[in-house]
Formats: sequence, structure tokens, C-alpha cells
Amino acid sequence: MAVSGNPGALHITTAVPGSQPTSVSNNATTYTVTTPNANKTYRITAQVNANMPVGVTLTATFAAPAGATSVGPVALDVTARNVVTGVPKSTNSTQSITYQLSGTAAAGVIASSTRMVTLTVITP
Amino acid sequence: MTAKRILSTIALVVSAAGAASAQTATQTITFQIDAINQIAFSGSPSLVINTATAGSNPTGATAAATWAVTTNQTGAKITASIGSNMPAGLTLSVNVTAPAGATSAGSLALSTTAVDLVTSITKLAQGSMAVSYSLSATAAAGVVSSTTRTVTYTITGGT
Repeated sequence: MAVSGNPGALHITTAVPGSQPTSVSNNATTYTVTTPNANKTYRITAQVNANMPVGVTLTATFAAPAGATSVGPVALDVTARNVVTGVPKSTNSTQSITYQLSGTAAAGVIASSTRMVTLTVITP
Repeated sequence: MTAKRILSTIALVVSAAGAASAQTATQTITFQIDAINQIAFSGSPSLVINTATAGSNPTGATAAATWAVTTNQTGAKITASIGSNMPAGLTLSVNVTAPAGATSAGSLALSTTAVDLVTSITKLAQGSMAVSYSLSATAAAGVVSSTTRTVTYTITGGT
């Protein structure tokens, strides 16, 4: 399992009046998954090292390699969540990662912060 | 070591290599939310005074509009002013409905000096709130031909 690097900062700066702050996204990074030749399928999980502030949501969408299935947008927290399932054996594939940051008005102003996302390839 | 035992040992090594390939990778996500204070007022209301009750000043006119706000700060406020003062004897007032938890000052006369219309707006996003304009005139104001004023609303962020 490898990633192409860290995405640029996700920075919410505006809102449509009457609506919640406008979410932002970043799809500039990729992940590469390689699976063994063992006769199994694999899944990829993602989690952050600390929960997001109240009212702030970090969502990740992982494109799936051939034969696998993307779970779609997943809100990340400290619990490992499936993001891709059914990765076949002998896979060697690079796919996109899209992160989205959203926040409610009630979340208030959030100073620049970081979270570490851990991706894991495991057997079901 | 028999041939069977050698094969078993090799199988074990391969299996262990497979298990070790379960891997992790990490990314660092940086995020931030700035102070956000956004308002919008819709409509271009028209106010016409064209009658009076005999013995009284001309009958005032009213018009409606709507507004919306998003702020992620505490204690934001809305002020309003017009670009030039109203003609003598004419008063343009506005009453802006407060969003949840905030306070409206009620109907206030507009001039070139900004007045606080709504205060204590805190961390919310709310739309479709009522704005009511009213125009009143004294008889002494006389006849005033069609004219316009632009009302400038400003949201000032809190903390």
C-alpha cells in the first residue's frame, strides 16, 4: 500500500447566504494497492488519528481497482471504515482519492489543523 | 528431511510472506475553516404614497422583501444605511426579522448613518426571513417624483 503524497490543504472560506459553508474537495492524490497471490480478496480501510471537530466532516472517496468495489464517500473517524472491498488477489493498481471537507456554521472558525489518515489493506 | 517436510516448509514461508504484505500507508490532511459572514437581500421594493385620510398626513406605504444570512461567528450584526438622505418630510424605514437567537431592533429609519438592525447573530445559516420597508411622508413634504435609494446592508462578524 502506498500513496502519492499529502493532499493540499482543505480550506473552507465562504458560504451561500442562508446555506451552510461551502464544502471543498481535493482529488490530487492517489493510492497504489498491491495484493498477494494468495487465493483471497482484500479490503481497504481508512481512519483518522483523532476525530474531527464537532460539526466538521472529512469524507474520503476511494476509486476501486478492477474487480473491486468502492464504498463511495465515507466520513472518516477514529474507527477503521471500509473504503474499498473485494480487491482481487494479485492486484497492482493505482487509483484516485478524493477528500471533501464540510462544516456547519455551528462549527465556527477552525484554525489550521491536521489529521493523519491511515489506509490499511487487510483480508476480510 | 523428507521431501514432504521440505514442501511444507516452503508453503509456510510463502504464506508468511503473503500475510506480511498486508500494509498500511498514511496521509496527512490539513484543514481550516475561516470566519464566514455572508448576507443576501432579495427584491427591489417599490413604495408609492398616493392617498390620505382627510385631516391626517398621507397614508404610508409598505413593501416586503426577504433576506438570508450565514455566519460561523458569535455576535455578528447587520447594519444598514442609504446613499443619500431622504427628502425632507419623507421617512424610509426598514424592519428586518431576526434569525433564531438573534435580536431585531424593529423598524428603524434609514439615513446615511448606519444603524444596527439585527444583533447577536451567532453561528447559523438561515434564509427566507422577512424584510419590511415602509415609507411615510408629511403633507409638508409635497409631491416627490419617482426616486430611488440604495440600501446598503453590512454584516459585521463577531468573535
